[in-house]
Amino acid sequence: MTRLLYWISIFALQVLLFNHLDLTAFLVPQIFIILLITLPLHTKKIYQVLIAFGLGLLADFFVSSPGIHTSSCLFLVMLRMTILNTQDLKEEIANRLNYTARNVGVLPFSYTVLILVFFYHLYIFWIGSIGAINTYNLLVTTLTSSVFSLTVIAILQFMSLSHARE
Amino acid sequence: MQRLLAFIEHNFHFILFIILQIICGFLIFGLNPYQQAVFSHSAASVTARSNQFSADLTSYIDLKEQNILLQSQVSEQFKNAPNNSFRFLQDTIDVKDSSSRPLFEAIPAQVIYNTTYKANNVFVINKGTDNGIRKNMGVVSSEGVAGIVLRSSAKYSVAMSLLNTDMKIIPNINDQEFFTEMVWDNSNPHTMKIVGINKLEKIKEGDLVYTGRSSLLFPPGIPIGSIAKLTPKPNSQYFDTYITTATQFRKLAYVYVIINRDESLITPLIPGND
Repeated sequence: MTRLLYWISIFALQVLLFNHLDLTAFLVPQIFIILLITLPLHTKKIYQVLIAFGLGLLADFFVSSPGIHTSSCLFLVMLRMTILNTQDLKEEIANRLNYTARNVGVLPFSYTVLILVFFYHLYIFWIGSIGAINTYNLLVTTLTSSVFSLTVIAILQFMSLSHARE
Repeated sequence: MQRLLAFIEHNFHFILFIILQIICGFLIFGLNPYQQAVFSHSAASVTARSNQFSADLTSYIDLKEQNILLQSQVSEQFKNAPNNSFRFLQDTIDVKDSSSRPLFEAIPAQVIYNTTYKANNVFVINKGTDNGIRKNMGVVSSEGVAGIVLRSSAKYSVAMSLLNTDMKIIPNINDQEFFTEMVWDNSNPHTMKIVGINKLEKIKEGDLVYTGRSSLLFPPGIPIGSIAKLTPKPNSQYFDTYITTATQFRKLAYVYVIINRDESLITPLIPGND
């Protein structure tokens, strides 16, 4: 129940707040991908793909971008599987833990999140501008949005760490 | 055979990933360059209503009501403005009925969906064919020209924003029509570009750009923007002219759809349109 509430809160933040930031055209942060990044480590790969498809479709529905978020979420989840294969997470998988900074350590988590967030934003803005790609706009939008998303994700993880210490 | 089944079982998630990506490909590319517009239109009222809900949630209720009231007042004033009317001469014939009738009418609408970061930006408004809105009608904001209606359903319309690489508009600077096109080149969300203005023309940075009389979509004198930069092209007789748009597209919330009442009567008279 708590997890469902967390998913709804993060997604509502994305749909109601971050999709309407309107600070600059170069800032379109995608915070909701934290939901896919922190999926439980024991989740079967096939379920991860289906969850990514469903979440992406829902995100597309709210911003009228048919297939763009869905394709990007699928890309993200496959990239996540590839990166996690290079990390030793047997114990965490056996304990059915989520992939968070608290469970796997700040350093490996930061490394994974940095790659996933950057490439997700690059991929989604690239798909969104197919037909009229402007490399400068693409890179600036990717960088500003990634930095913003990483900051929000870091705050969320920091809050989770602080809560665990208490 | 067993090996094949084992391979499929082991890599089923990857096969599923490929199948779902193909479906995404159909969704993305099957909906053409205006994928946003088409999707907004075909996903019909559900998507539009969710956007409306989001817009309602983020705006102050009182402020919204005030805005709507103000919009209807501006719309009424627009209808009665001398620039937008045909005046009938009365010096020879005594006409007892109304001395002028409006050529253009403005329908107020609210923007419920808007993009500014793509090559082909569009916005969705909460008025459609039920309100007399049809394809190819001009849309203006309180600041200036905003776009042109692409398509309409009963309750909603999708408009091509000025920030669209397919948008072409003829500028009027210092009361002079320049029969060259003003376009958006997808480099800056506030700037449009005119190529083909001769260096001998007396224009300067800061000059205002308006709509002229070469279009039936907008009344003449609606602001489009102002000249931000004039760059003489080397080895050419032309300027590259950069225009800062009058409309702040990232803040676009309320617009007016311009209805030319006599468009159907005027268009057939213009050579090449019959």
